[in-house]
Amino acid sequence: MNMKGYTGRILKVDLTTGHPHVKTFDEKYARKYLGGQGFAVEIVYHEMPAGADALGPDNVLAMAPGAFNGFPIGTGGKSAFAAKSPATGTLAESIMGGSIGMELRHAGYDALEIVGKAESPSYVFIEDDKVEIEDASDLWGKDTRVVPETLKKRHGWDVKVACIGVAGEKLSKIACIDCDDRQAGRAGLGAVMGAKNLKAIVVRGTKDLVPADPNKLLELAYKYQKIYEAAPSFIEDTKYGTGEFLGWINKEKGVFPTRNWQESVFAEREKIDPYYWAPRYVTKNKACFSCTKPCGKLFEVKSGKFTGVAIDGIEYETLYSLGGTCGNADVESVARANEICDVLGMDTISAGVTIGFAMELMQRGIITEKDVGFKCTFDNASEAVPRMCEMMGNRTGFGDLLADGVKVAAKRIGKGSERYAIHTKGLEPPAYDVRGMKGHGLAYMTSTRGACHLRAGFYAPELVGKFWKWEGIDRFSTANKGFMVSQTENFMCVYDSIGLCKFSRGFYLIAKLPELLEAVTGMTFTEEELLKIGERVHNMKGAFNAREGVTRKDWLLPPRILEDPIVDGPSKGHKISIEEMNLMLDDYMKARGWTSEGVPTPEKMKELDIA
Amino acid sequence: MVKMLVPYPENCTGCRFCEMACTIYHDGTINHADARLQVHRRNVKIDFPSVCTNCVSCGEDCCVMHCPVDAIKKENGIVSVDEELCTACGTCVEVCPFGVMRMEEKAFNCDLCGGDPTCVKFCPTKAIVYEEPKPEQYEKIKKLLAPEA
Repeated sequence: MNMKGYTGRILKVDLTTGHPHVKTFDEKYARKYLGGQGFAVEIVYHEMPAGADALGPDNVLAMAPGAFNGFPIGTGGKSAFAAKSPATGTLAESIMGGSIGMELRHAGYDALEIVGKAESPSYVFIEDDKVEIEDASDLWGKDTRVVPETLKKRHGWDVKVACIGVAGEKLSKIACIDCDDRQAGRAGLGAVMGAKNLKAIVVRGTKDLVPADPNKLLELAYKYQKIYEAAPSFIEDTKYGTGEFLGWINKEKGVFPTRNWQESVFAEREKIDPYYWAPRYVTKNKACFSCTKPCGKLFEVKSGKFTGVAIDGIEYETLYSLGGTCGNADVESVARANEICDVLGMDTISAGVTIGFAMELMQRGIITEKDVGFKCTFDNASEAVPRMCEMMGNRTGFGDLLADGVKVAAKRIGKGSERYAIHTKGLEPPAYDVRGMKGHGLAYMTSTRGACHLRAGFYAPELVGKFWKWEGIDRFSTANKGFMVSQTENFMCVYDSIGLCKFSRGFYLIAKLPELLEAVTGMTFTEEELLKIGERVHNMKGAFNAREGVTRKDWLLPPRILEDPIVDGPSKGHKISIEEMNLMLDDYMKARGWTSEGVPTPEKMKELDIA
Repeated sequence: MVKMLVPYPENCTGCRFCEMACTIYHDGTINHADARLQVHRRNVKIDFPSVCTNCVSCGEDCCVMHCPVDAIKKENGIVSVDEELCTACGTCVEVCPFGVMRMEEKAFNCDLCGGDPTCVKFCPTKAIVYEEPKPEQYEKIKKLLAPEA
């Protein structure tokens, strides 16, 4: 193997038979998929039998560090998990900044593929060429902080641990995977691990990573870091975290979904704004592996009824999900709920949106205090949100009903509750009210894993008005959005495959990536070639979803976005009408070269060399 | 007082960029285990850089004293290994209470990159600073570097 920057090996572990197997790949494969999401998606696409049950043994869980992961490139330490999602039935990938991917590379693998199902609770222990499946019965039922601590005591402090909490064991469709207090949160990948009886993945790698040009790499890393450190976004994110623009989104743009999207301006925003809480509660900065732009905050509560809470947060999305959309203006309560989600292993976005949904149902009398067992209402949010998180994670009482997200909960509750369930493809939406940003609304639909702000990242172009090669973008217009969203989706696929944090996308764009990639891998790429890889990865996901029967009919926006205009603030009166939705979808399909039903055409597949 | 690498654990985010920069500078490859400094990550609250303090924290110069072939010397606060003399017996690694001395084919340790430490250059949050430590920092460093329980 003389390929630089890659190990050229993929580790496949079959939990049913207990056998590990190493596959190799060549430069052609690396050029085709880059790494990270590209590898993970390729593995799931080709290895999972069509129609497999997401929570069955045939589902394939792939994990792959991005191409930059392990090399000193600022914010380039991301790893991708991918599998068929139990929440959406689509190919879902979730990206995390935990150090598990880097360690896997040092162990000598560029990707990990897990198939089958262990007979009893197990964990996989990878130490370079040694791969073992160990008994995890003593870890079953333990939380995501106890598990790594126990395993590190057992195997040494230098091992890296990715694990699931109780929610994943109990197959909650909103369960996440945790590593280093960072989560691959979305689309229920934690449940995929739980269904495989896989509690944790433990890795120790001792091998060298060899870049093509170490001196050039170090020089570039230094150059970019200095530029980076002077950037305003670096300074603000480092001080206040990702919630730094909450006030702006809430007040200037009026697209901060509040009380289950009944309002779009959170009147009590100041109480959950990091400009308020960062000076009071943050004791230090935290970062993902390899990140030189620390947006994580160690949030500690040192007095009052939430004493002892300590989390890496609170992230912008969580300020919305466990805060605004539940009407929760008590930042300590948000932090506590965040901590519960983290330790029980639940996605904070999905958990919060589901609780907000239950709160609206109670407001409307569709469910009652008797059904739930306590006052799960917007005006009692400070108490109700952490309490319900705990019940959902442990699947106790009414929490059991909510533990699989809004789509399933609405089906279980019935009585017209579907009208208030906000999701696309079964995934709860993040913190942008797309009625006031229509292209982003399109992106919620076209996102292969359900409502997501990061598949296209289209909130940034629409809120700022310019991005990449475009200027003067009007967030209320539908014009050209189909094309633009398809382009930014390809763009984001490049980022997830290369392993760069999307918060750096405005900085590196695509233009700065080829020289960095060359220093790491020795391979030369043009911008167009990189975007072609992004397009290929997105098309693979599209083809997978179509194969699994998820097509345009399943993409549509929920009734609230189509029927209820925004009631307050700067975006008042706006909604996405059915006509606008269809117009944007038609444009998008055309831009993608897909059929109007959202299926990649054979010509497109051939053009992108997807078999 | 000589300048040394002073860790500021309250600034450390746990990103481990310093480890990567360290090994790529010295070896041209990346291997966290070979980095001359280590970031310790215990839990959500605690992560800190354990940096080579050139035996100032130890104060005993154990490695220099115990090396059976006198391969280790200390000049201007910088501890260095003479690779010609080193027999890789491992004594220095054993006696160093802070894990500063490391062993591969020969013993090695932080050489402060010749006076312009790469880890300091790359640390985005000033968790490692190359400076003369204040006396109270001695104690803090000692406590941090004490072997893990």
